[in-house]
Amino acid sequence: MIEGLAGFVAWLGAALVVLSDGRRGLAAGTAVSSLGIAILVLQGSGPVDAAIVAVGGAVATIPGLRSGEGWGLMPAGSTPRLVLSIAVGLLALWIAASITTGGGAALRFAVMSVAGLSGARILSSDSSPVLLAAVGSLALAAAAAAALGGAPPGPWPYAAAAVIAGGSAWLRPRTASAA
Amino acid sequence: MLPEAIELLLIVAAVFAMALVFSPAGPRRHLLVKGGTGLLGTAAIVAVPTVDLAVLVLLGLALLDAAAGGKRPFAIRLRLPALAVALLALALAFSRFAGPNALERFAAVGLAAGVAAAVGVVPYLHPFDPEEGASSSPIVWIAFVGPVLATVLVWRAHGLLSADAGSAFGAMLIGLGLINMAWGSLGAWLTENTVVAWRYSFVADWGLVLCGFGLTIADGQRAALLVLFTIVLGRLPLYLGSRQALREKIGTERPVNLIVGAVLAGAAPSAGFAARVLLLRGATQLYWPLALVLVLGMLLWLPGSLRLGRSLGRPRGRQAIGVVIVVAINVLAGLYPLPLFSAANL
Repeated sequence: MIEGLAGFVAWLGAALVVLSDGRRGLAAGTAVSSLGIAILVLQGSGPVDAAIVAVGGAVATIPGLRSGEGWGLMPAGSTPRLVLSIAVGLLALWIAASITTGGGAALRFAVMSVAGLSGARILSSDSSPVLLAAVGSLALAAAAAAALGGAPPGPWPYAAAAVIAGGSAWLRPRTASAA
Repeated sequence: MLPEAIELLLIVAAVFAMALVFSPAGPRRHLLVKGGTGLLGTAAIVAVPTVDLAVLVLLGLALLDAAAGGKRPFAIRLRLPALAVALLALALAFSRFAGPNALERFAAVGLAAGVAAAVGVVPYLHPFDPEEGASSSPIVWIAFVGPVLATVLVWRAHGLLSADAGSAFGAMLIGLGLINMAWGSLGAWLTENTVVAWRYSFVADWGLVLCGFGLTIADGQRAALLVLFTIVLGRLPLYLGSRQALREKIGTERPVNLIVGAVLAGAAPSAGFAARVLLLRGATQLYWPLALVLVLGMLLWLPGSLRLGRSLGRPRGRQAIGVVIVVAINVLAGLYPLPLFSAANL
């Protein structure tokens, strides 16, 4: 039950990243997504690895929440993004629950939906904060994919993902120049 | 750690040192910082014990490269490497799912697409600005980080996939390779801008590499390694050496330009020729019509390479020494490539 809820929370976070244009909305998406993934990691890999994911997500959330910018949730014209979020969620749920077999369906669902939605967001936006938030979620999903093999992968993938997710949120990219 | 990847990493480090020695004093510091970071990231991709960590290192490297700035906007610089990570993460997930065999084929599709997107070859050519400095341009991915990264990903992918999905992965790499050969060599020949022609020539060479990776026999792997060697220790330093002449729009037709053109075209006795012979031998063993297609594709290298040879101008001073060293190394590797193969356990 908890696993299923955590998978849903991870998808919801990735959907928030897809549906938000404001930095607060993006930060909220990263926070929710990392919370869901951290709970799934707690179930499969233990409290230390889960804490690493949670800390990475928390560090990634701070600059967006402190930015003072708006939430930008579902601005006008975001219906295609809403449809995309629901379609990716349904496709991932179908594959995780019906096509594949064995335990860990929630983790499979979370990895597919978060990686898929983050990849789609990276392709569809030119805004630096949006891209950085999507990269943060993508890093956490890629680390969670390491646990799909069965045995826990150890703390290193989670630590690398936490550094990328946390670091990307604080990054200030240089603007295009004549370099 | 994979011996092929370690060997390529050492070659990349040698080229980086050469670039520092032979480049003009002005951009040297810039090159040291950016190239050094890229080299460290590439070393991390080789050193990490799992493919998941290699993919995460790739994402970190893509972020740093995009954030470092350049002529192209941040989003354009980050988009395709990050897409590669998304594709690879999904592919790794699918390779671990229990279920129908078709899932592993999806994993093979994701791996092939991820490798192409990370390196920046067709159908995921990174947007290119001819005015951008070499250390900020997509050449970093296609000629500096890409050879090591693709070797690590392709070799580790074979351990993840079943025999059936592995065959599908090989077939996809060959298909991508043929498309890149044609696209790259025609582009290098027909495009108006010579800097863009250089970039297409890298794409054409990657076509050979992908075909070599796709032929899952020793000759194919050897050919891929040798072409990667010629990209890193042939085409890349010659491209860097031609930048000054390209800026000044100087084109000369001296013997040195013909020799460089021949090396770029993979004429005997350069390493490119040995690689092509190995590739054709491997293709003949596997499916002889493929060798026929490869021969036709290889003929397209000549016009573009002669054009690129002319774009080098008349090398002088340090630059001339660098060109002589590069040509000599390529001829030596072409005449006696066995040490390269034995170091890579091939």
